[in-house]
Amino acid sequence: MSGDKKRIPIKEKMWITKSNGEARLLGSRCPACGELFFPIKDSGICVHCQHEGLETVELGPFGRIVSYTAAMQPPAGGYYHGPVPYSFGLVDLDDGVRVETHLGGEFEKLKVGMRAQLAIETLYTDEQGNEVQAYCFLPVEE
Amino acid sequence: MKPSWQRRPVFIAGVGMSHFDYLPDVDPIYYTSQMIIRALKDAELQWKDIQAVFCGSCFLGASIGHKIIKEVGLTGVPIVNIENACSTGASALRLAYMQIATEIYDCMLIMGVEKNPKGPIPAQSFLPWELELGFNFHPGNYALETVKYMHRTGATEKDISLVTVKNRKNASLNPNARFQKPVSLEEVMASRLVAPPLRLLHCCPLADGAAVAVVSSKNKLKSPNRAVRVEAAVLRSASYKEEYVPGGIIQSVKFPAKESLAAQSAKEAYEISGYGPEDIDVVQAYDTVSSSELWDIEELGFCGEGKAPQLLRDGTFDIGGKIPVNTDGGLMGKGHPMGATALGQIIEVITQLRGEAGPRQVQQARIGLTHAMGAGPNSTVTIMAKND
Repeated sequence: MSGDKKRIPIKEKMWITKSNGEARLLGSRCPACGELFFPIKDSGICVHCQHEGLETVELGPFGRIVSYTAAMQPPAGGYYHGPVPYSFGLVDLDDGVRVETHLGGEFEKLKVGMRAQLAIETLYTDEQGNEVQAYCFLPVEE
Repeated sequence: MKPSWQRRPVFIAGVGMSHFDYLPDVDPIYYTSQMIIRALKDAELQWKDIQAVFCGSCFLGASIGHKIIKEVGLTGVPIVNIENACSTGASALRLAYMQIATEIYDCMLIMGVEKNPKGPIPAQSFLPWELELGFNFHPGNYALETVKYMHRTGATEKDISLVTVKNRKNASLNPNARFQKPVSLEEVMASRLVAPPLRLLHCCPLADGAAVAVVSSKNKLKSPNRAVRVEAAVLRSASYKEEYVPGGIIQSVKFPAKESLAAQSAKEAYEISGYGPEDIDVVQAYDTVSSSELWDIEELGFCGEGKAPQLLRDGTFDIGGKIPVNTDGGLMGKGHPMGATALGQIIEVITQLRGEAGPRQVQQARIGLTHAMGAGPNSTVTIMAKND
């Protein structure tokens, strides 16, 4: 072990950080029917039209909150290592795909229809001291 | 292609259902084997009449049906174990229905049995990254559906709380229910927040328990006037991106579903049975959270979108109302032993159609409907009629 602390994503190829520091989600687009998927579909099969061979596309960074809640206690199973309570919900990206996501900002101020922007957050620090990162959306002024 | 439903009639000849409760020290094999004997006696049949067995459960592992049958009688009949999340028990009935209807067997035993892990259910229909992000928090996923429903219809927190009040009142009339005490609106609205806007008393309690039924053709019935005819036993699973967050399905923005899975399965059941929502005398709807009963009633076609809260306030869904819903207390009052739940709903309708529901009896109940959603997602709709 080198002992170096790193930032590691919760799953590979979920987003990229561009040269200007801005993040974009990565998803799949079907060249036949135009359907979008997040995250990338490793099977390469379009679930909508069964076309084989999907293109990787950048998604975001803006969308609208469709629904939101907060988990006031940890979920079952012991898979989640982030802070509790945590806010999460559904965001429709301007690209035309809905994503389930953690939501930042004050919970009391969240509203259906609110504009939100992609951000990358540290969800928790693992046993090796690595920062495990996840995508999330933060409410923004219109 | 649509399946053909040309068939001979199928009946439920006998049932046995345990008290649903949290029973950490009781082996499910014990209470299920007792319920098998009760169902056989109820049907006035013998174990040797049973030609095949389907056993539903979600958390009891491989060969649970075999373990139970070992305590009852080994006759070499085929035993198949079934898991279909909250729709498990109704899925078992559907499969038995097909075998009896097509004259493969005359008499089958179906079971739903469960012993739940403690705490919120460890949802298993999520991908590893979804689990790591905490998206398997079931009350939270139902809260997302609830916020959408409230936004769409104007339903309030008081409206969803009144569902709990009604169902806990019904449960107090059902000796098999986990909760025997009614709750007030104030108690529901003061219970702790689990996933806003949902509070503890908006979420159904888990339970352990067993439900057993003998499914047969007409020639096996000993007391035809107590038997109930199965008019439709429908299962529909995930249709394209029809949003069901608790099942890990997020809606397509480009190609949204025209109809919910519940609506699709209800339509199919109405088409097969020849009955419509106006013919149904008693309903067991899917109240895994209080709010889901409201949108379920609407999606099953009993009223238009957003109309359920007003009808609830008017008493339409009470035991003495026009469309009694969750007469046994529902999942909210009776408890939710996952593998047994959907068969428990079916047994409540049978009890009502037989006129044996005691203080919670719906007068002149002739036709009943049950609906269970489940992770997957699955949606099962069963329609039954009094046999006279």
